[in-house]
Amino acid sequence: MVDYFHMTRSETQNRSVHVLVLTGYGLNCDYETAYAFELAGAVSTRVHINALISGETSLKDYDILVLDGGFSWGDDHGAGVLEAVRLKSNIGEAIFQFIGEGKLILGICNGFQALVNLGFLPGFDGDYRTRHVALTFNDCGNFRDDWVPLLGNPDSSCVFTKGVGRIELPIRHGEGKFYASAEVIKRLIDNGQAVFQYATRKGEPAQGQFPFNPNGSVHDIAGICDPTGRVFGLMPHPEAFNHWTNHPDWTRMKESMKRQGQSIHPELTAGVRILKNGVDYIRENRLAV
Amino acid sequence: MPARLEITLKPNLFDAEGAAICRKANDYFGFDLESVRTVSILTIDIDLTADQLELIRTEIFTNPVTRISSYKPLAIDFDSVLWVGYRPGVRDNPGSTATEAVEDLLRIRLKPHEAIYTSKRYCLKGGNLSFDDAGRIARELLANDIIQQYKVFSKKDWHPETGIGIIIPKVRLDHKPTVTVIPIHSDEALMRVSKERDLALNPNDVSTIRAYFLREDVLAERRAFGLSAPTDVELEYISQARSDHCNHNTFKGLFRYRDLATGKTEIVNDLFETCIEAPTLAVQKQKPWVISVLWDNAGVGRLNDDYHYVITGETHNSPSNMEAYGGAITGIVGVYRDPMGTGKGSRLIMGMYGYCAGPRDYQGGLKPHLHPKRLLDGVIEGVRDGGNKSGIPTPFGQVWFHEGYLGKCLVFVTAIGLMPSQIKGEAAEKKTTSPNDLIVMCGGRVGKDGIHGVTAASESFSADTPAGHVQIGDPYTQKKMHDFLLEARDHGLIAFITDNGGGGLSSSIGESARFSNGCVVELEKVPLKYEGLDQWEIWVSESQERMTVAIKPEHEEQFMALSKKHAVESTIIGHYTDSGKLRITYDGRTCAYVDIDLLSSQFPQWTFEAEWTPPEMRGLFEPVLAGPDDASGLLLDLFSRPNICSKEWIIRQYDHEVQGTSVIKPLVGKDRDVISDAVVIRPVLESPEGLAAAQALLPTYSQIDTYHMAACTIDEAVRRVVAVGGDPDRIGGVDNFCWPTIQYDPIDNPDGKYKAAQLVRANRALRDVCTVYEIPLLSGKDSMYIDGHLKGRYGETHKVSALPTLQFSCTSVISDITRCVTMDSKFAGDLVYVLGETRNELGASEYYEHFGYVGLRVPELRLESSMKLYRALSRAIQEDLVASCHGIYRGGLGVHLALVAMGGGLGMDIDLSLVPRVEVEENHVILYSETPGRFIVTVDPKHRLAFESIMDGFPHACVGTVSSGLDLVINGLEDEPVIQVPVSELKAAWKQPFGQLI
Repeated sequence: MVDYFHMTRSETQNRSVHVLVLTGYGLNCDYETAYAFELAGAVSTRVHINALISGETSLKDYDILVLDGGFSWGDDHGAGVLEAVRLKSNIGEAIFQFIGEGKLILGICNGFQALVNLGFLPGFDGDYRTRHVALTFNDCGNFRDDWVPLLGNPDSSCVFTKGVGRIELPIRHGEGKFYASAEVIKRLIDNGQAVFQYATRKGEPAQGQFPFNPNGSVHDIAGICDPTGRVFGLMPHPEAFNHWTNHPDWTRMKESMKRQGQSIHPELTAGVRILKNGVDYIRENRLAV
Repeated sequence: MPARLEITLKPNLFDAEGAAICRKANDYFGFDLESVRTVSILTIDIDLTADQLELIRTEIFTNPVTRISSYKPLAIDFDSVLWVGYRPGVRDNPGSTATEAVEDLLRIRLKPHEAIYTSKRYCLKGGNLSFDDAGRIARELLANDIIQQYKVFSKKDWHPETGIGIIIPKVRLDHKPTVTVIPIHSDEALMRVSKERDLALNPNDVSTIRAYFLREDVLAERRAFGLSAPTDVELEYISQARSDHCNHNTFKGLFRYRDLATGKTEIVNDLFETCIEAPTLAVQKQKPWVISVLWDNAGVGRLNDDYHYVITGETHNSPSNMEAYGGAITGIVGVYRDPMGTGKGSRLIMGMYGYCAGPRDYQGGLKPHLHPKRLLDGVIEGVRDGGNKSGIPTPFGQVWFHEGYLGKCLVFVTAIGLMPSQIKGEAAEKKTTSPNDLIVMCGGRVGKDGIHGVTAASESFSADTPAGHVQIGDPYTQKKMHDFLLEARDHGLIAFITDNGGGGLSSSIGESARFSNGCVVELEKVPLKYEGLDQWEIWVSESQERMTVAIKPEHEEQFMALSKKHAVESTIIGHYTDSGKLRITYDGRTCAYVDIDLLSSQFPQWTFEAEWTPPEMRGLFEPVLAGPDDASGLLLDLFSRPNICSKEWIIRQYDHEVQGTSVIKPLVGKDRDVISDAVVIRPVLESPEGLAAAQALLPTYSQIDTYHMAACTIDEAVRRVVAVGGDPDRIGGVDNFCWPTIQYDPIDNPDGKYKAAQLVRANRALRDVCTVYEIPLLSGKDSMYIDGHLKGRYGETHKVSALPTLQFSCTSVISDITRCVTMDSKFAGDLVYVLGETRNELGASEYYEHFGYVGLRVPELRLESSMKLYRALSRAIQEDLVASCHGIYRGGLGVHLALVAMGGGLGMDIDLSLVPRVEVEENHVILYSETPGRFIVTVDPKHRLAFESIMDGFPHACVGTVSSGLDLVINGLEDEPVIQVPVSELKAAWKQPFGQLI
């Protein structure tokens, strides 16, 4: 916890960006998500869902709320469904307020599923309660782990994907098929809310082709944001690309660079870059003012 | 009034689960179904108002975008309807999470008799299915009648208003818990009770048990507590603890080993002590990184200054054989509790799997309880859900098909954990109980499930094996407990922790009470799933997802508060003492009172006759076989053999990236689809150390000699971790033996003496290799009785014994993960080296098996020279001189050169005459001999000199180059063309057998 009382003025101005990563009830990406946000320059804390509900921890002390990946409630009755029920029934208002204050919410995989079940996404016209889209069972009929090429939408208002074009991230899910009616899909596209699309290795939209589109998502949609760009959900896992040796080709890339007389410089990975965009946004837009 | 909610996908949405059933119905039975729509059913046995029912329907159970639902049967077109639900008392995970959500939303608490039950309805269309055909899908594809019930409806039996009816699988036990006193007036009387109650007491133990309870001083002490003859609680306790599963009586037995070739007889006393314990303790003295071995639930090795890793391996064969999904998920979730219960507890960071099953396309006359295809599918799915839902990566695994596993399949599960080296200034690997410490049971509740699981695992499978020990693991409940216990550990609240696995409380408390030397357990405090369990059942039930924890009395409040925060049930059920006695009470009355050291003393050692008949004397010989004309066609066919071909479909179902630690993945190469030698993770995200892990199985060599089977298996696992960059001097091992029954019986087990000798020989290999390679056995388990009695075509019964099987697992610490290498060739023009000598060792090879031969010359490990070569290779890898590295395993050089080429998506030109070899002058022998100790390495020509200088003095040769062409080109000893085949064609053949599976 930050001790504001003992901080000098300049420290307060330069205070850290605080990220809350949920834990408990079967969530399981909390360690690496917290770690990847630290790499992105934030101070992150793993907080049990019940600590938020009991008031032991207050959302007010945080700038970014992460609904991380996992199998909350065992994914029974639809992935993310019961997490959404728990959050909405107990701290729904606090989260609405969090969004209202201009802070950021990121939902990854199971967290994305929870966000759409909460109705926070797509959040058309500031309505954060109505479910318009769903993530349902993969068309391939099974859980699938693979690294997939993604195409970022340059026209999206999403604060996390600024400057993120073609990247690769791992997907690991059984219920990642993005589904919505044709009108909703059109609206998402028109609004620039379709943030990531599954793509071929050449960088073109996968157009439903398995395994590039691994789950049958409509319009190859892998992630969407709300109209403000501050609530973002995606099926792929940026936090699992926290080190260059996470990438499936790293031994090949290393060998290739070695022969060109270069070594791989451990710069920020694409996964951490996404998180850093969020951290930078807070720094620029909330801490600066 | 119970309500029944039906939920299904909107009609325009693709039903992936239904489509999978269509696919399987075609695959299993040849049915040509048009469609299957699945309906989820919740039977809500809770007193709710109409408004409340509507609220939970819309808010929880019906996604408005994708689903429709109704409290009346949904009108869905069908030709037949199948309904499948759980039997009473079977763990219904979605039922209990539904309950949690309903309580949360409605802000109510369910009454004890209220619950939600889940089931499924399947609407089948097309395929002209008869009523019996539909029943077959229900029986043989969807339901397993050990845990599930089903109903079949044709169009005319279906009533649109009543649907499936209201089915409430509630356990009703109208039974008052009773302690029964067992008469022990004679050995025969006690044996009779043992049979009647399924205690599985060993006849040799019976007189020891009687003598104890008849001792004057014991009788006098017991009288003070109102006890005389033993109670059922006491005898069940002894039976569990003395079972082979818990006590390893076989490995600790006395073997009279006779070699029929020499006629010499040796006494081999205690395989565990001589072949496992002694070599490991000797290695531990040399290697300070070996932190804790041979006493706890898992072994502990040092990762770096701040962290240790923890590893163990288990099998879960008998339950998986009867209910594949339930057995396998219970197995993986269960083995994860071992690292959780090691030292003061560790966090799970990796799982591995090994499956041995009958051929997937088996069409022979034997009728196993589950067809191998269905069994393997169920096992794969069980480990998938158990691992994925636990949030633990499952990156490495292997599958072995052989008809011997029709009798009983093998399901190996391995768990790796991570602990800080210190917790609040104390060594994390240490733990103890002290008088007055509280005994806490955490996690799930206790029911009748899993009773006598341990004793059933100590018997071979037959028609009357009790089905009650089959369970369905619940990774969700366990994950909550895992998170809770780690937080409690870090607050310094855990004095001792162990899991409730085999034997339940009887084993976890019995063992932990040895540290303080006594305990008092108040059984009525144990939370139950339902009333009506007898005291002995509470004591030995194996209900899953439970840990036993010792805490100091002053920590009670803090521990319980944390437990509540994590939504985990924890209950104080007694305390530890130093009385020397295990005392159990129920409502104040003593129902067990025995010496705490009763089990560790006084019982007789098991004895075995072992007779070794060497392979020549068994009539094995080398086939007369000259090399093929169509060597390319042969290689392609070998690639499609089930024990060689790609199993990508299994790997991709398992999350191997969670925790963000993945460094070397299970699938590597240009197209990321060729199997890696081993996997590497970065267990501590902030640190550069890696942990490499791999496993090996070579049961087929047991047909010739189990000594070489074991030696080659260990060597393969070692080479696998060395190939990715593992340090040969920091390798830890885990041995998992699975053996057919070795107790000789002239009628039931006529070859028992031979099987006993096979076990002795395998253990000697374990001892020899681990001693020379300096590998500590961090953990290990044995599972005997891998036999089954199967009905044949005419209703006759056959005993089917599996091949003696050893799974060996290796870990190795890598100080810098960025030095790791993968097996795929990288650049055209790179030099291809073969390290190690090839000998004429085709015995039991994949090549011989392809032609139906066994042969005689089994691959033999050259112990002394091998490890030196591995150290040199490791140095070359550390110095970044190696572009790719791959061991030569099952299938030999030909298969593995092709795999390296497939990984790189590049061609290869190879000259067999250059391959280092001893007394081999035939191309097909060089290509397919399975001599251990060999690698294929590709090297940038720039590094030729540096690489060769490191390899100087070890058998190695540059045998060709990576080419920019598309073909694998192999020339023979006379420089004649032998093989030329496009790499893409090899890959297609390799993927063909299971390529369409997802």
